Amino acid sequence: MDVERVVKTQVTSSELNPSPELIKSVNNGETTLIAVVQALGPFLTAPEEKTRVNGLTYLSNTVTSIDKSKINRPAARTLTNFFLAKLDDFDSLSPSLSALLVLSKLSATTFDDDTAVEVYRQIVENVNMKAYAQSVRHQVYQLFDSFLDKHREAFKDMGPEFISSYSKMVDGEKDPRNLLLLFQLDKVILIDFDVESQIEDMFDVTFCYFPISFRPPPNDPYGITAEDLKVALRAAMSASSHFAKMALPLFLEKYATSSGPAMKDLLLTMAACFPAYGAPAVAERGEELWDCLKTEILYTSDSSVEAAALAALESLIRTLYPTTNDGPSGLAQLIIKQCLENMNEPEKNHSMGSSKCLAALVRASPSTGPFALSQALPQLFRQFNVPKLPSHRENIISYVTILLMAARSVYAVPGATRRQEQERSLEPYRENLLDVMREGLRTRDLKVSAVRGSVALAEIPGFWTKREVEEVVQGMDDLLINEKDPDVRPAVMHGLKTIAGVHADVVEGVTLPVLFHTLPETAPEESDVDGRDAYRRILSALTDLCTMPALFETLVVRITTRLDLLSSATPIEEDAATGASRRECTVAYAWDLLNTLQTVISIKLEAKHVDLPKYYSQVAPRLFGMVVSAALPRVDKVVPLFRDRRLITIAAAIGETLFFELSAAKQAPVVQSMVSAFEEGNLSAIVYDQTSVPPTAGSPLRGNATSAEQDLVALYSAIIRGLKADTPIEVPSISDFLATKVHWAVRVARDDFQLRLMLDLITALVNKRVSEFGGHLEPLLERIWMTDIQDTTQPFELRRRGLLVYLHITKALALLRNDLAYSSIQRIVEILSLSNLDPAFVQEAACDFGVLAESGGKGKGKGRGAHLTTKLLHAQKLWNFLLPKLIEGDKDTEGKGRDVYLVAFASLLPLVPSSLFLSDLPTILPLLLRSLSLSNAAQRANVITALTSIVETANTSTATDKLLHEHAVTMVEGVLRSARRLPGVETNGRVRCTALAALGVFPDAIRYETLHPVKATVIRELADSLDDPLRSVRREAVDTRDRWYRYGA
Amino acid sequence: MNRPLDNAAPTIFAASSTGRRNDALWADAYSEDAAAQPELAYLHNKRVGSDEEGSEDEEAGEEIDAYEVFDLLRSVTDPEHPVSLEQLRVVSAEDIHVAGNRVLVYLTPTIPHCSMSTLIGLSLRVRLLRALPPRYRVDIRIKAGTHQSEHAVNKQLNDKERVQAALENNHLLQVVEGCLATAGRRGAPGPEDHSGHGH
Repeated sequence: MDVERVVKTQVTSSELNPSPELIKSVNNGETTLIAVVQALGPFLTAPEEKTRVNGLTYLSNTVTSIDKSKINRPAARTLTNFFLAKLDDFDSLSPSLSALLVLSKLSATTFDDDTAVEVYRQIVENVNMKAYAQSVRHQVYQLFDSFLDKHREAFKDMGPEFISSYSKMVDGEKDPRNLLLLFQLDKVILIDFDVESQIEDMFDVTFCYFPISFRPPPNDPYGITAEDLKVALRAAMSASSHFAKMALPLFLEKYATSSGPAMKDLLLTMAACFPAYGAPAVAERGEELWDCLKTEILYTSDSSVEAAALAALESLIRTLYPTTNDGPSGLAQLIIKQCLENMNEPEKNHSMGSSKCLAALVRASPSTGPFALSQALPQLFRQFNVPKLPSHRENIISYVTILLMAARSVYAVPGATRRQEQERSLEPYRENLLDVMREGLRTRDLKVSAVRGSVALAEIPGFWTKREVEEVVQGMDDLLINEKDPDVRPAVMHGLKTIAGVHADVVEGVTLPVLFHTLPETAPEESDVDGRDAYRRILSALTDLCTMPALFETLVVRITTRLDLLSSATPIEEDAATGASRRECTVAYAWDLLNTLQTVISIKLEAKHVDLPKYYSQVAPRLFGMVVSAALPRVDKVVPLFRDRRLITIAAAIGETLFFELSAAKQAPVVQSMVSAFEEGNLSAIVYDQTSVPPTAGSPLRGNATSAEQDLVALYSAIIRGLKADTPIEVPSISDFLATKVHWAVRVARDDFQLRLMLDLITALVNKRVSEFGGHLEPLLERIWMTDIQDTTQPFELRRRGLLVYLHITKALALLRNDLAYSSIQRIVEILSLSNLDPAFVQEAACDFGVLAESGGKGKGKGRGAHLTTKLLHAQKLWNFLLPKLIEGDKDTEGKGRDVYLVAFASLLPLVPSSLFLSDLPTILPLLLRSLSLSNAAQRANVITALTSIVETANTSTATDKLLHEHAVTMVEGVLRSARRLPGVETNGRVRCTALAALGVFPDAIRYETLHPVKATVIRELADSLDDPLRSVRREAVDTRDRWYRYGA
Repeated sequence: MNRPLDNAAPTIFAASSTGRRNDALWADAYSEDAAAQPELAYLHNKRVGSDEEGSEDEEAGEEIDAYEVFDLLRSVTDPEHPVSLEQLRVVSAEDIHVAGNRVLVYLTPTIPHCSMSTLIGLSLRVRLLRALPPRYRVDIRIKAGTHQSEHAVNKQLNDKERVQAALENNHLLQVVEGCLATAGRRGAPGPEDHSGHGH
């Protein structure tokens, strides 16, 4: 390689980053570093300053880019000397520092201690920090950082010279980026260097920044927060005990003048510093410090300041009384005395704060902790038993609880170093404590505190026996069921969950039986709102508790048993009017029970509990059994409970969820029994109690099945949807199997409920088994197209179903990015142009694009498409395929025929996130705006959702911003129409909510001057929405109207 | 802060986490479940239910009730402290009454000489003016026996012209807007560190 030519060409053309070839050549040894320096020679020595700096920068860039092992000791020496010589040259400093930083990180043999110290001295001597910009100063500090990292001992050996020069160099630095680095350096020096004699220098360069009052500039690209700086500075301030003499007076002085965030910072800093400054120094100012902290704890209204002051108090006490050998005399006694005096007047505001101070003493040390408890508890018991006023007891028990929670935080946390068995601080009060808790759990206004206190005691390892825990748990169960005060229940629930973590057996043995026993045997009457509220509270408690593996099994058994009882209870006659209401109540109750099970399962699923798979065989066959035996034909007029489609739906969903958790090997026999049930009529194969189904039942898919039997397809569909990719299905021919399902969907299903179940089954089957179909799918689609869809002599409903089946198969393929999907969709796009010939059907087809937009594979475990197989970017591919065709169709068509393209477009919108069409916004926005006046509410909701996310991104680019501001008024007016209930316009709660939420986005995204002409209109028209019959709509309306009131104000 | 606080350390209660009672025949979870299902325009029966529960039924009766009004007011910030009126128990669901086109709100000052009562009442009035349908007539009163100058305050709060005059005072309006800035939280906790000394 002609090094000289390469270098010359680059430098003369001011291309100062060495070419990759050159770097490569140096790295593989072809070219030596010396050769590069030689080639640069004429530039480095040029008389013209600019040329010199260019040469130097090129060299520096070379040094930073090459493999560091190529720099040997002599080269490092030469380069160091060379760059050192440039330190006093203003423009050369920055590239020189870059190179020196690289060199300083080389091994100690290549760049030794002496060199490091020499470089440091030269910098101190030659660099006038104040003359340089932030970035250059940052380079200097980085170099210092590197020195302290690699050559710390050498710098320590410099003696006082180092600190006095360092503190001069960093003096006056103000940039937050630099300070963040400096505070770290300060900390290293303070910890590792002998700073005692020069502590004033270090004090000056650290404490001068305290307290930090930094506010990051808007859009700060560096993202440094005031909190970052505070934390870094605090670490430096607490790094040396020698600061104590100067720092403590400073703290006391700052205390007098600080408030708000500065006060919080001061308190947290004190908390960090006390342990470092040590007991002797802190003790000197102990009482003064306590006076300050006390004032904040007792009188602040800002809870974060209070918490900081308590942390400082805890740190103060821990510093003064670290071990049991440090007797709690002096300040600790004074604090306890003052606090107990305050707590003797529970009606005064500062008594609560005093109890928190004592709690801090409990937490602080094994010396003050037991002592504070031994002083406080007897007095509190006396006050509790003989209060001056009965109303004082509420406060008194809360002080007890505050102390117990402090004890719990010491003894019952993972890895606790202090143990109740050793300190025995609560032991003398065992009986008294239980008495107070017992009394509190059954007395008005004391309950929440009693619950918290009891839980704290139950959590302390080895303190309470099972009997004591059982007693309070019984009290809590009673509250759970009977308590009316809304504040108590959440506390009890939280408490029981916590106790279940430590004493699962008690909750299982005491709480669960009570809860299940309290669940009503039969559903409450429609008018019995209290009964319903009561059982829902129990179910929600069970939901919270039973996610734990130890308790889940009980839930499963009890719920299925309860459902069994409900479904076999006295049958209800269909016709009677009271019967209808009774029945509806029972269905709602059964649904609530099933929903409890489903909710717990999904919580467990999210928490990745491993015990779920084993529950399929416990749950599904029982639920399926109830559904199957309900569906069988009967001679009487009774309509069994589990014929209700809402119950069938949720039972099937639970089955699907649990089934999907099984391994392929465990799934296979289940699938086989399902196939046998539905293809051969062997229904007893899928239920728990096989005697409940007569062998003569027959397949629900047979020609003369009743509607109720046909509803059983829900179970078939659920299992196929939950199928794993590698679970075998053994049927003679998979394409015949699919063909019979298609036939059933198009020609047998009685209504859309059944149709939808079969469509889901077909989708899942094609999606999961596509490879097994070989070439058979295309002819099948062709046949559907020819005989069912295209044949206009067929009834409309049949053609519609044919089209839906066709689209669902297509969708199953599109999720896999299978080529057949796109050629099939092409045909449907072509149909859209026929709206003159076949208007109703074309309109239908346009709506049906929504099938393709339904989510597949998203939202784990939830929704219809949850368990489908998807390939990456399937949605994008489909969107990019369809969008140009729809836009083109829209352009080429005139008059009313255009609308179908808009309908198809609007139906398809949920397929992709709106970020995808930001680049095509100029084309898409007009379509969206026109789609705002479509008649179908769901399609308009799609459009508004898309618009909302587009408007939210308004400021991402100037082009988008401009476009959106141009159309803002039109958008607002269009969306506003959907927010209201206008005569003759199809609407529903969802589209109104979506529209109102969309309107709420504009004030944040669009500049006021653009929209101020419509502000009055929007506010006026939203007044109508405030009176919407739906609560959820009103809520959106209030929030959106509020935003518009503030808009521009 | 240029003025000593009327009540320097008021008792602060936990905001109640429970909302409206869940006692309709069908649990909230059911309608949420139905809402979570994508609306399938191409399938004509929108809900799974076997009965004829259509969209008209859905539009019927969720009347505005006391709890809903409480929800609108609970998170208004106290003018003196960075906590909500619910946390101070200045407003509570039991002290709100809705009948026909009338709403009656009783507020309970934290102390009997609270000079902020009028301001709080004014904030509540502005909030309801903006958030309730115009057909409602709103009365805001001090709960009997909880304030020294109950009658004077009541008079001021329910006199249209006085309210109007107060709102034309730009400074006062700014303070009211400040109190209302958090109203939209509806009992949800705010971001953790509110600068308590900003008023």
